[in-house]
Amino acid sequence: MTIDEGVLRRLPQNPLRDPRDRRLPRIPDPCALVVFGVTGDLARKKLIPAIYDLSNRGLLPSGFALLGFARRDWDHGEFEELAREAAQKGARTPWRPEAWARLADAVRFVPGSFDDDDAFDTLAQTLVDLENSHGIGGNAAFYLSIPPAAFPTVLKQMERTGMASNRQAGGWRRVVVEKPFGHDLASGRELNKLVDRVFTPADVYRIDHYLGKETVQNLLALRFANTFFEPIWNSHYVDSVQITMAEDVGIGTRAGFYDSAGAARDVLQNHLLQLLALTAMEEPVSFDAESLRTEKKKVLEAISLPGDLQSGTVRGRYTQGWLAGERVKGYLDEQDVPADSRTETYAAVRLNVNTRRWGGVPFYLRTGKRLPRRVTEIAVLLQKAPHLPFAATDTTELGNNQLVIRVQPDEGMTLRFGSKVPGSAMEVRDVSMDFLYGAAFTEGSPEAYERLILDVLLGDATLFPRNEEVEASWRVIDPIETFWAEGGMPDGYRAGEWGPASADEMLARDGRGWRRP
Amino acid sequence: MTTLWDTTGTEVVKALAAERRAGGAVAAGLVLTLVCVADESQVDAAEVAATVAASQHPCRMLLVVRRNVTASESRLDADVTIGGRLGPGEAVVLRMNGRLGLHAESVVLPLLAPDAPVVTWWYGAPPDLIAYDPLGVLAGRRITDVHNAADPLAALRTRATDYEPGDTDLAWSRVTPWRSVLAGAYDTADGTVSRATVRGADKSASAALLAAWIGSRLDCDVELEPSDGPGISLAQLEVNGGGDRGGTTITVARNGDQAGLLSRTGQPDRIMPLRRDERGDLLAEELRRLDDDPVYATSLGHFAGIPNLANRPRGRRHIWRDPAERAAAQ
Repeated sequence: MTIDEGVLRRLPQNPLRDPRDRRLPRIPDPCALVVFGVTGDLARKKLIPAIYDLSNRGLLPSGFALLGFARRDWDHGEFEELAREAAQKGARTPWRPEAWARLADAVRFVPGSFDDDDAFDTLAQTLVDLENSHGIGGNAAFYLSIPPAAFPTVLKQMERTGMASNRQAGGWRRVVVEKPFGHDLASGRELNKLVDRVFTPADVYRIDHYLGKETVQNLLALRFANTFFEPIWNSHYVDSVQITMAEDVGIGTRAGFYDSAGAARDVLQNHLLQLLALTAMEEPVSFDAESLRTEKKKVLEAISLPGDLQSGTVRGRYTQGWLAGERVKGYLDEQDVPADSRTETYAAVRLNVNTRRWGGVPFYLRTGKRLPRRVTEIAVLLQKAPHLPFAATDTTELGNNQLVIRVQPDEGMTLRFGSKVPGSAMEVRDVSMDFLYGAAFTEGSPEAYERLILDVLLGDATLFPRNEEVEASWRVIDPIETFWAEGGMPDGYRAGEWGPASADEMLARDGRGWRRP
Repeated sequence: MTTLWDTTGTEVVKALAAERRAGGAVAAGLVLTLVCVADESQVDAAEVAATVAASQHPCRMLLVVRRNVTASESRLDADVTIGGRLGPGEAVVLRMNGRLGLHAESVVLPLLAPDAPVVTWWYGAPPDLIAYDPLGVLAGRRITDVHNAADPLAALRTRATDYEPGDTDLAWSRVTPWRSVLAGAYDTADGTVSRATVRGADKSASAALLAAWIGSRLDCDVELEPSDGPGISLAQLEVNGGGDRGGTTITVARNGDQAGLLSRTGQPDRIMPLRRDERGDLLAEELRRLDDDPVYATSLGHFAGIPNLANRPRGRRHIWRDPAERAAAQ
């Protein structure tokens, strides 16, 4: 992934850096990272450990500072302690106190609430001070790990104090936003306009952490670096594609956010459509940010919804059941969920991509909570052979050939094909050929955040969806949400099952069945 | 090998993944998941048999031991082994105490190998209805062993009424060597069979199935004679000659553990290989083919007097049966 042209033009070429010298890592400019909402789960479990890991691996510049902004009555020391605990708990690389000590010196905290003018002035001043004391240059990245409702306030403050302006700062100023990017197309557009106005569009980085995962990037390598797969990656050979993101957890205590969003807005609109885009896109002419995002935008805009939304979409909601050996409660019994809630915890949809490559191939996307196991995978099912020279009884166990990308857990790839059963007769059954990454088995993927934060600081926007992609994704989801809003309750499924029966019926109507991941 | 005490299903999934990583290449490439259901007293024998089968078919083996379903506390203990004493593939032994045993599928579902066929084998007596056991409902192939029931013939009859394509019994695999010798001998016989005899141990389900197979395929009377056993000791076909030719009698008699004596009228006796398979080999034979066995269905139906078993529709659904409720009702 190459650096944006804009960044390269600003700096004269460093003679110590040779593109052929692959041992030297790319290190960002001296900069500060300001985290809004630093006391939240995301910051403590993913961001701060990622910063530690980057520092430990020697990937942060010598002039680096970490600032926290939250409504707490802390001083720098108390915040540094919180950060140290979070890093120690969540670090992927081995914990070394001296590695943290290097960072600890440049950790600052600014207390305040989002509408507090003085707090933001203090923040701006702290950044200026750090330029002098720690040499961070005029560069800063602002990570907004805050509820969407607070965005307008925070962005106005950034505008007012001039912290968002590259020109005023004398360096780059970037903003990182997490999903959800709005609630629907209209609100998504508004949010995009606001953020793009306060920071320039090139400086806005929308995080979809799935794009930072190793296997997702491997999908590009797989498709475009090899000769095996490209010839079959089209409607002549592919029967269907199933993209699944299953979680075994419930909503826990997040009813406040989840009940107004639902599975489709939470996962389908961002992660699953991004995975679909990477699977279905045309080959980019090069791997720079612009070319890749152009192809993704093209394919997202070519997505079409099923003609009959009733038969082409499914929504479900988990009821009480047994999962992984324990009894769990149903969605309506979870804390803070209103009794008349109509929110879905499971969403499945059949989409088509109207390009010559994919005409007629259904893409089945599904996501849900309280499914039997946590798994994200992309399964490309190939058509069956038009004629089998074997006797009918020899191939009853032969299914579709499949290429399965396991995004998490057990990162890797599987090829499923028919093979002869050892023995004197000719019998063919499906076997799986596995390729497993050696990554550690973890709940989330801290590596994703490490990679993405590093890319933000480097100015490499390849792995960050542009606002046109976000808007195109909303254009797919909005009609579905509108249709569902007029319908009734979601279909029930017991916690620990693979979804409601209506999801199986949706595929059965097309003569197919869900893969059990 | 990893042992987990008083654990949760999620921990077992993680431990298996961690073992796979440590195990390396040996863990790749599974063709099926084998779910074995056994009691605590049967675990050792079940492990031996499943290991033999797993050596021939790379699979993920899940051995489910339900202990004391009426205990007040639920508890799960697990043993995760890869490429160790339980065969070259992955093996998880799950011991469940308490009501968790009634919801065993909640622990087993996340452990099934992705998108691979699931075979469930009950070591001990089969459940009264396979639908009572959720581990049977989620399997594409169900293997019972009526020889381990208190009354094998009654259990075989129940298997017939409960039959659905995909069910099979180890009693049927036990007669495969007999069937292949008989079929081979009848290849060169000339005429139809007027009478057949099968001599086997009293209440032997294998003998009954062999007799039913002969009767249904050859449409003749089959006499089932009891003997001291073990298993089947003799199978005989009386073939009518056509016109002026005399009849021939084909007899296969067991002659030691691995051989049988084939006698035909007018020809010298010959010793034929006639295996007596151990449970592990029987299981391996069952795993070789995972599709329906219509010949078994016809033979089973002939034994029980129920026609057309092979065309029964599929689609068992779990029927909830709580032993605590039944005990209270009794």
